[in-house]
Amino acid sequence: MNFEVPIGPQHPIHVEPLMLRLKVEGELIVDADVDVSYIHRGIEKALELRPYIQGLYLVERICGICNAAQSLCYCLNVEQLLGKEAPPRARYLRIVVEELSRIHSHLLWLGHYLHTLGFETLFMYFWRDRERVMDMLELITGNRVTTAYNTIGGVRRDLPPGAEQKLRRTLDYIEERVRYYEKVIDSEPTILARTQRVGILKPGDAVRMGVTGPHLRASGIKHDVRLDDPYSGHDEIPFNVITWDTCDCYARVKVRLRETSECVNMIRYALDHMPSGDYRLKIPPFFKAPPGESLSRVEAPRGELVHYSISDGGDRPYRYRVRTPTLANLLSVVEMLRSRGDYEVYIADVPAILGGIDPCICCSARILITDEAKKRRMITTLDDIIRFSRGRRVERR
Amino acid sequence: MIEKILATVFFPGAIFILAVSLFYEWVDRKLYARFQNRVGPHLAGPFGLFQPIADLIKLLSKEDIVPMATDRFLFTLTPILAPALILFACMFLPVAGPSGIISFEGDLIAVIALLSIYTITVYLAGEGSNNRFASVGAVRAAVQLLGYEIPLTLSLLSVALAAGSLSIRGIVEAQAERGLWFIAGIQAIGFAIFIIASQAEMERIPFDIPEAEQEIVAGWEVEYSGKRLALFRLSKDLELFLLSGLGAAVFLGGPIGPVIPGLEPMLYTIYFILKSIIVLAIFTLVRALFARLRIDQMVSFSWRYLMPPAMILIILTEVIM
Repeated sequence: MNFEVPIGPQHPIHVEPLMLRLKVEGELIVDADVDVSYIHRGIEKALELRPYIQGLYLVERICGICNAAQSLCYCLNVEQLLGKEAPPRARYLRIVVEELSRIHSHLLWLGHYLHTLGFETLFMYFWRDRERVMDMLELITGNRVTTAYNTIGGVRRDLPPGAEQKLRRTLDYIEERVRYYEKVIDSEPTILARTQRVGILKPGDAVRMGVTGPHLRASGIKHDVRLDDPYSGHDEIPFNVITWDTCDCYARVKVRLRETSECVNMIRYALDHMPSGDYRLKIPPFFKAPPGESLSRVEAPRGELVHYSISDGGDRPYRYRVRTPTLANLLSVVEMLRSRGDYEVYIADVPAILGGIDPCICCSARILITDEAKKRRMITTLDDIIRFSRGRRVERR
Repeated sequence: MIEKILATVFFPGAIFILAVSLFYEWVDRKLYARFQNRVGPHLAGPFGLFQPIADLIKLLSKEDIVPMATDRFLFTLTPILAPALILFACMFLPVAGPSGIISFEGDLIAVIALLSIYTITVYLAGEGSNNRFASVGAVRAAVQLLGYEIPLTLSLLSVALAAGSLSIRGIVEAQAERGLWFIAGIQAIGFAIFIIASQAEMERIPFDIPEAEQEIVAGWEVEYSGKRLALFRLSKDLELFLLSGLGAAVFLGGPIGPVIPGLEPMLYTIYFILKSIIVLAIFTLVRALFARLRIDQMVSFSWRYLMPPAMILIILTEVIM
């Protein structure tokens, strides 16, 4: 029995359109191919047509779950263009919201991941606890999902009175629950059977493929943008970079569980040492950025998020580029799905492996594909892209 | 004769069995939801009691689609065959008395055989729909059969050996004579094996491998929709009733209990339903406690951890008797 199983573009394991073509022999996968280009949303182009302040609200909608990371990255990028820096209190408040949304993202992922393994009960429990974090996000930012908290030059509002107490109570609750879940996951034979020695990605392969985030740390490599390139006062806050060296799906679960409790500690520290002063710089809503380039990196819940912009001195970016962590991680899925030697991958492992990278396809679909089978390669330079998008303006400074 | 026909059609026959199995689906869903800290069905009827029948009617009223690539014969035959087989097997259950509507020496074997034929129907349903996910699911169902069928049979046979009878009636009466249920003794091991193997028979977590939603969409039933799907759903409810009823009859003493003279059939029915709901609750608890296994893990699990105890149990039963 040798045939091709299409996982996607519509499939129950992920609500987003992703195509995985699996060549299988019975239950064994021999080859895999991935295609993300079903949902090109044109966000980069849209960013180039809007003033900077409007881009802020657009960039949050690249990804609903890591919206805090996206808007933070955008703000850092524009602040860098302007040569300004957010005041200390804003930096700490940004950390609080960023880490809260990391907790919410990790809990969401853990629940969803167990759901893909067929463990419905723990899925419900994780999402119930996540709801508490969502309430805290609403309390601090005013919004549950798309927080719209970061703004150019700081944050949109200060910590409301009484929020700190409630936040601390929630953090205690989350810490206790995460400890409990770690115990459950470590003692549950079916979860261990489905995750251990499944989807192995060796550290060398991980680096070669440019894997980022918790996925990379689960391969035992200590890499975290918050540590390597502290972008929002992370050098003042002590935290551990969690790594795990079994390189399998179990390691990915463990890394995210441990990171959740690490986030709790970071928020506590930030609350304890919250500087006083302004929480935002006064920047007029419409401004012109000086010509130049700017690159900002943020450790989003899913990995390293990169924003790059070119300004030509106008009131909107000349070119804006977003590289989301899922795009960096997707290549490794193909590698993990190929059976070779004793390493055997079954159809049943696909959800475990694909889910392990925390895929967010809608963030990622902005690439051009080279088609190896038809010997057709499309090499597109930056000038070409600008020509596609702008018509006549080809010249660069 | 007319009494026999009425018993077969109404009580404790087809209509009663269908109603009770839909009620069991409600119990299963509600308990599962409560284990997961959810509300569960609560809209149709009091406490959502009519939700299963509402779902069934909704599915029956949907458009009937037969995809072009399917084997039309199998695609029509299997949805009818599946609930019919299980309903037939349910007739052997001792609901309103120590014996079912049909009862003969060796009917325990007949029930086991019907369950196996049901799995083969599932295989045919999957292969007949000519879909890649369905074929994978169908093959998984057939492979899974190799894992659970022998432990299931052995666990039931060791009880038959202890009772000295191969009929469900004989087993129920043996428990009434001893005054002790078979679960209160060495056969408790058999009960545990029965619970696990039934979970695989019914394709429920941790053994819902043939229809794993996240892996192969809905497995063997992916192409079925409308009334065909409704019939498969119904056969699953019937299977839930059959296996929890079989567990109650064989291990928990069946319908026998203290009676008030003159009210025997009614009390027997109540005892039977209460006992089988206990078995059902255990099924639901198991379903809420685990993640799904992989097919190779499932088969090796049942040959490593279900087969040896089942074998030892049958030898021990023989020695003790």
